[in-house]
Amino acid sequence: MLMLSYLLATGITTGALYALVALGIVVVYKATGVVNLAHGELFMMGGFLAYTLHVMVKLPYVLSLLLAVAGSFALGILTDRVAFRPLMKEGLASVLLATIGISFLLKGIARVVWGGKGDFLAFPPLVSPEPIRIGNVMIMSQQLVVLLATLAVMLAFGVFFKTTRAGKFMQATASNPRAATLVGIHVSRVYMYTFGVGAAVAGASAVLMAPLTLLYPDIGFVLFIKGFAAAVLGGLTSVPGAIVGGLLVGIFEQLAAGFIGTTIQDVSAFIVIMFALIFLPTGILGTRGIRKI
Amino acid sequence: MNSLTVSNVSVAFGGVDALSDVSVAVDAGQIVGIIGPNGAGKTTLLNVICGMNRPDRGDVTLHGTVITGWKPSRIAGLGLGRTFQTSQLFPGMTVLENLMTGLHLRGRTGLVAAAFRTPSMKREEAEMRERTLAALDFVGMRAFAGRSGTALSFGQQRVVEIVRTLIGDPTVVLLDEPAVGLSVPRVAELDTLLRRIRDERGVTLVMIEHVIRLVMGVSDRVIVMNSGHKIAEGRPDDIRRNPDVIEAYLGRQGDARRPAP
Amino acid sequence: MRVVVSHRAFLVVLFAALALLPVVANQYTLFVGNLMMLYIILALGLNLLVGFAGQLAFANAAMYGIGAYGAALLQVRLGFSYWIAAPCGALLAMAVGTLLAFPALRLSGIYLALATLAFAQFTQWVLLHWNTVTFGAGGFPVPQPDFSALGMSPDRGIYYVSWVVTVVLLAFAWRVVRSRVGRAFVAMRDREMAAQALGVDLLRYKAVAFALSGFYAGTAGALYPAVLAYVSPEGFDLFQMILHKAMIVVGGMGSIVGSVIGASLLVYLLEVLRQFKATQEIVFGALLLAFVLFQPRGLVDFAKRCLPGWAEPLHYASDSESPADVTVADELVPGSGGGAPR
Repeated sequence: MLMLSYLLATGITTGALYALVALGIVVVYKATGVVNLAHGELFMMGGFLAYTLHVMVKLPYVLSLLLAVAGSFALGILTDRVAFRPLMKEGLASVLLATIGISFLLKGIARVVWGGKGDFLAFPPLVSPEPIRIGNVMIMSQQLVVLLATLAVMLAFGVFFKTTRAGKFMQATASNPRAATLVGIHVSRVYMYTFGVGAAVAGASAVLMAPLTLLYPDIGFVLFIKGFAAAVLGGLTSVPGAIVGGLLVGIFEQLAAGFIGTTIQDVSAFIVIMFALIFLPTGILGTRGIRKI
Repeated sequence: MNSLTVSNVSVAFGGVDALSDVSVAVDAGQIVGIIGPNGAGKTTLLNVICGMNRPDRGDVTLHGTVITGWKPSRIAGLGLGRTFQTSQLFPGMTVLENLMTGLHLRGRTGLVAAAFRTPSMKREEAEMRERTLAALDFVGMRAFAGRSGTALSFGQQRVVEIVRTLIGDPTVVLLDEPAVGLSVPRVAELDTLLRRIRDERGVTLVMIEHVIRLVMGVSDRVIVMNSGHKIAEGRPDDIRRNPDVIEAYLGRQGDARRPAP
Repeated sequence: MRVVVSHRAFLVVLFAALALLPVVANQYTLFVGNLMMLYIILALGLNLLVGFAGQLAFANAAMYGIGAYGAALLQVRLGFSYWIAAPCGALLAMAVGTLLAFPALRLSGIYLALATLAFAQFTQWVLLHWNTVTFGAGGFPVPQPDFSALGMSPDRGIYYVSWVVTVVLLAFAWRVVRSRVGRAFVAMRDREMAAQALGVDLLRYKAVAFALSGFYAGTAGALYPAVLAYVSPEGFDLFQMILHKAMIVVGGMGSIVGSVIGASLLVYLLEVLRQFKATQEIVFGALLLAFVLFQPRGLVDFAKRCLPGWAEPLHYASDSESPADVTVADELVPGSGGGAPR
């Protein structure tokens, strides 16, 4: 029972982090109709930036987090300017290929700057690594901190969308870009900020995840696939779906690892993607669009 | 004899009833016009007929065969052709190649024949080429054979598309707003062209149009749709005077076009 | 139609040079030349699927891997002769590739792209972890086929085999593109709805396109263990995916000659950068990005502008002919007279 609760707790914590990655994917997709294939690398860069700031420059953790998120935001904006804006009229294939190019570019840069394939960066733990017991549930204090922080980020995200002007502009543009232009919303600027916000969320997720795991340049793609699986499961157009999807992927992964074997972890995301695309094409909470011919 | 029958077809998209219990019977060799305000379901009706949307209820019959639920390419094989509102010329091909694609169903070359350049393949290609060049001659555009489809003017593109639709000798052709974007003299030419297609080649035409002058002028029968229902059907003169039709058009703000003077 | 000497001439010269290479080259150069031919095959297959048929699929590297592992494992585990194992590997990849056509019918755009990408990752995972069959992450050595009966070293022998296979597959792709099948592909790519309305059966042609690209990638894969004498999962990873894509983007999507150009150039670049994996990633990432942004039609487009005889059928038609250049016919249909509507 303790084992199961541990698995569930881990699953929920990692699931929350996947949910953040998925959120970034969904927010960008909703607004632009495009999935940024470099999203994983934006995640990775956020983590590496935080590492540099916190471990190498020795800034306090929270400050590193904020600066890394700002850095990710900037990278997201750059992605929009370079890959999306000039190519959106050429079609999806061009944008996807451009984002792939960016993803490898960033990965290569990270490898050159921070070390080769075999180098894993260890982020120091935030709190003592002893587990704590809450009733029947055993959880690492580290995980608890991360979980709470993740929830805080999600909350901030929700508040941003519902209350700030920028957030409302983004929602409006996502649902109807033409109408948004007509009421004076600067749509291409909204796209830019959307990419930025998506990247920032990914970066935050990486920084929160960093104390739990090792950082390495290829981690971007691994997290991207998990985030995408979560997004597809929840519905690529649904923000709450991304959260639900993320938690489900995280839990599924941990249970599979616990009961079948750890190598299954790598492939559980793939299983989720296949399952979702075959049986739930619009996701759990997504909406079916009306196809106008 | 009915060449095309739509029986009690209903289609709903996510809670919106695009078509409600619509029935249409088209005789061979007729020109049938479909008019109605935007959102009336006209394009959905064409989509259902050609197989791009499956009706929730009802059936479509072509030349006596029930084609409900068939794939569009299979229905095309029965002799149904279709044009679309927006330009559907293949931009990656020349005009000649576009037209040869129109003869796709007349050919049989597959991977193996293509790989080995069999005599039958070469014969087939030569015949197709002859037919397409003849078709281009028919509309006086042979000089454009080697041009990219995108290098033509809008009117020329429309002509090539119509030729491409007809070159495979379909028996029933669905036209979605063929006159869109054409000036008044061009519309008159289109009118003549449509009549020639019907009279000289015996093709049945089902046409959605907003240019009332054209529809009323060239159609043998007109069907009026509104909000997914067929609200009137008959000869052009009768439709003009039908009070329901007048209400449907003038009772709505926005997109209803006033008839050309 | 027009005599298209230029790009045929280019291909003839290139392959003549490749045929003569074993005479002058050392072992390493021979190896690079052989690799170049494998990548030409890969690029051709991918271009048929993505460039001509318009299917945004990302599983080419996985098919490559299936072909390679299929051929290698049949030899090493079951003792098959290379000449049986290799076609089996290629056919296995073709079969798997064809299966991907079914989701391709229901999924489109981003969903197809990511589904095939996820599938490729799954394949990679299988190669890495199914130790009992695939030997796992370390890979395994594979004996090269014996050519002593012909008096040739294995390297030379497999080089000539690759040459013949590449020329045959190139001719095949060339002919397919110039046929009814090729037109169906391009119609499907450009205007799927209109293609259907003209009778192009989407499922059939998507299946054909996926099968073809699977077969090409599988064939390149089947040659791989004979060329390298070793097989490991690393050779079929994400980087391979970007490499293949970069080849057709740089060379020219929707162009047979472009596939050859892109593959040749990028293999050369790959070998030059063999030292550091990181620089490879940066260079290929930047190359892909730069071409998508500034020269999306690839180098063949550039060649088309400079060399007048270079036009290929079904290739993206040149934009240089604007409507203004064309003498516009005054009447919509000359001869109809533009009579009154009634």
